[in-house]
Amino acid sequence: MHNLPDNTRAALSRVHQLSRRDFLKAAGGLTIVASMSTGLFGAAQALADDMPTEIRVMSTSEYAVMHRLMEVALPTTGTSLVPPTSLPVMQTLDAALLEKMSPPLLAGLKEGIAYFNEGPREEYDKSFVELTDAEAVAFCDAWADSNEPPQRALAMGLKKLVGLAYWAHPPTWEPLGYGGPVTERWGLESLGNAPMPLSDESTTPTPQG
Amino acid sequence: MTQQISINEVPAHGLAVTQAADIDVARLDLEVDAVVIGSGAGGAIAAYELAKAGKRVLVLEAGPYIPSEQFSEMMAVSMDTLYQDHGAQANASGDISVLQGACVGGSTVVNAALCFRTPDYYLELWAKKFGLSNLTPEVMAPYFDKVEANLHIAPNAPHESSPGARLLKQGIENLGLPAGNAKRNIKNCAMTGFCFAGCVSDRKQSMLITYLPWAVAHGATIYADTRVTRILAEGDQANGVEAEVIDQQNGEVKCRLTVTAPLVVVAAGPIQTPLLLQQSGLANTSGQVGKNFACHPTLSITGMFEQDVDNFYGATHSLYMDQNVMPEEGGYLLLDAIQDPVEASFQAEPGTGEPYMAYMSRYRNSVRLITLIHDKNVGEVNWKNGTKEIIYLVDDQDFEIMKAGLKTNARILFAAGAKQLYIPSSQPLTIDDESQIEAVIDGLANEPARYRYTSFHPQGTCRMGADPTSTVVSPSGETHDVKNLYVVDASLLPTSIGYNPSETVYALAHYICDQINQAHA
Repeated sequence: MHNLPDNTRAALSRVHQLSRRDFLKAAGGLTIVASMSTGLFGAAQALADDMPTEIRVMSTSEYAVMHRLMEVALPTTGTSLVPPTSLPVMQTLDAALLEKMSPPLLAGLKEGIAYFNEGPREEYDKSFVELTDAEAVAFCDAWADSNEPPQRALAMGLKKLVGLAYWAHPPTWEPLGYGGPVTERWGLESLGNAPMPLSDESTTPTPQG
Repeated sequence: MTQQISINEVPAHGLAVTQAADIDVARLDLEVDAVVIGSGAGGAIAAYELAKAGKRVLVLEAGPYIPSEQFSEMMAVSMDTLYQDHGAQANASGDISVLQGACVGGSTVVNAALCFRTPDYYLELWAKKFGLSNLTPEVMAPYFDKVEANLHIAPNAPHESSPGARLLKQGIENLGLPAGNAKRNIKNCAMTGFCFAGCVSDRKQSMLITYLPWAVAHGATIYADTRVTRILAEGDQANGVEAEVIDQQNGEVKCRLTVTAPLVVVAAGPIQTPLLLQQSGLANTSGQVGKNFACHPTLSITGMFEQDVDNFYGATHSLYMDQNVMPEEGGYLLLDAIQDPVEASFQAEPGTGEPYMAYMSRYRNSVRLITLIHDKNVGEVNWKNGTKEIIYLVDDQDFEIMKAGLKTNARILFAAGAKQLYIPSSQPLTIDDESQIEAVIDGLANEPARYRYTSFHPQGTCRMGADPTSTVVSPSGETHDVKNLYVVDASLLPTSIGYNPSETVYALAHYICDQINQAHA
């Protein structure tokens, strides 16, 4: 944690000492995102210059982290899989997953993204968005098997989010051999509402209309 | 007060529902005989039974009304539109996804339609430990008969299976274990495999196409997009609710609603019901509202087969193995489940990047088998700082049950022909050979945020019992503290029951409605 402002260093130190429950309790109260939003995310800002205009929930810094995680977690080079960069994965993440989160949950997640981005600094002297591909993979795998529950939770949770936002897109299914929705394709007719049960001992129904 | 209500025919399709878009006033005051909070398993049955008895019934559902023809058959879209918190509801430590429906019809719209009668073991246990001597197997049997007839609950026909289930059945039989053929509330299953995304062609007999239209035919009125914020009471008598109609497009309150009703039936589900009672400051002299939360945590092992299995169309669930389901016999249940790519994408952790994509590339070769445990009621649900909090950590003894279940799960998958198994841990963990099962599973430690749990069955937060100092709801379904305030959802269950609880809720709801109609004729 070199070259950090004192207040950020203190905040990160506090985060590193947190137990899982503390981390979650603190999610709404810590000011890590605010304190790191300019200095620490400078590199992220540079990487996020091409952030799509449709992104409304993620900050440029958060976008850069999640975009980088998408690149690292969903590599398709040399496969028949659809490159995530060819799909609006970040827009899906932003609009379909993050925008619908309750404010406390979203605030906790935003703090988590910042915490995740700063995670490699001690070992690599770099933030997550600055890691090479190999370093980023190693970092994700290390956190997934960390002794610190918040680190495991973030490694699992953030990868799950980008995965959901990717596999939600029907073009990703064809290379898997999955055909998607079938009711229309199979010509299935709706059975509609079930009739009133025989056990209903009411008077004879009056036709509607 | 009751009045005779004319009975209409049940329409062939659709449901008459008042939605936010239909309301153009800022305030509404309504007066009815009974207000029902929630339109899922318990609420829909209550609406039907009370309306049938001649009461003017109003159903208030916080979620939207999505007609079945609008179901997408895409899991990610369905999670967004049909599930609580858009599918993001979880425990406080974030490692257990707690899935519930949040739409007209509730969880019955998005469940897999599996039905089990409450085992006599639990009815007898509840009588002994919680004074529920009224819920004997003999008393409950006619209620199970009734819902089984009304919801077309029947064992799967031989063809109602899936490619994965057929392999797993062979594996179960190879090990000399009993292969259970599931009962489901489905009529002429079209085998699309989209139970969790809602049944477009209305084969699943959810509340959306059964009890709710029947209730409306008996005169009940349904409001969607309407979130009850407070239950009202005067003295020790419930007398109505306050609610907000929410514009689903922008989340803003469109109308404030006050309902005057001498009878309030809460069926908001085991998370929302205790929260609502806590927010209302009612029915909690026992201090048990929100306590005793259980959720049947599940972990799925994914088996990789050499051949393409294509386990994505078919019956969502069709097979179970319950030899060890009773607490004395182990306390776990194994269930097959097909899955679409979105579900498959978070069931295992093969390693970041290339290992993960290689794993997903073998989607056609994958089959998962779920281990569900009968868990202790060690959690709680609280309304805190303006938001809900589900506090639940898997109990150490329960985790040992999970491990025993995972071992059997793994043995079945190998016996079915799987070549490699993926344990749903945060770090890459596989079992490459049957001889490794004991060592790998024994090496698992009960740690938070280490496994990818899913819960489909939250329960127990307003438990039922005879003792008002230790339970919330009386044996008749009425809260101990507040008269004319009834609960008819899975929050009633005094203990978890090891099996899918939907049929238990259906039967209990019918039973309690009989008590209501007798007390409020």
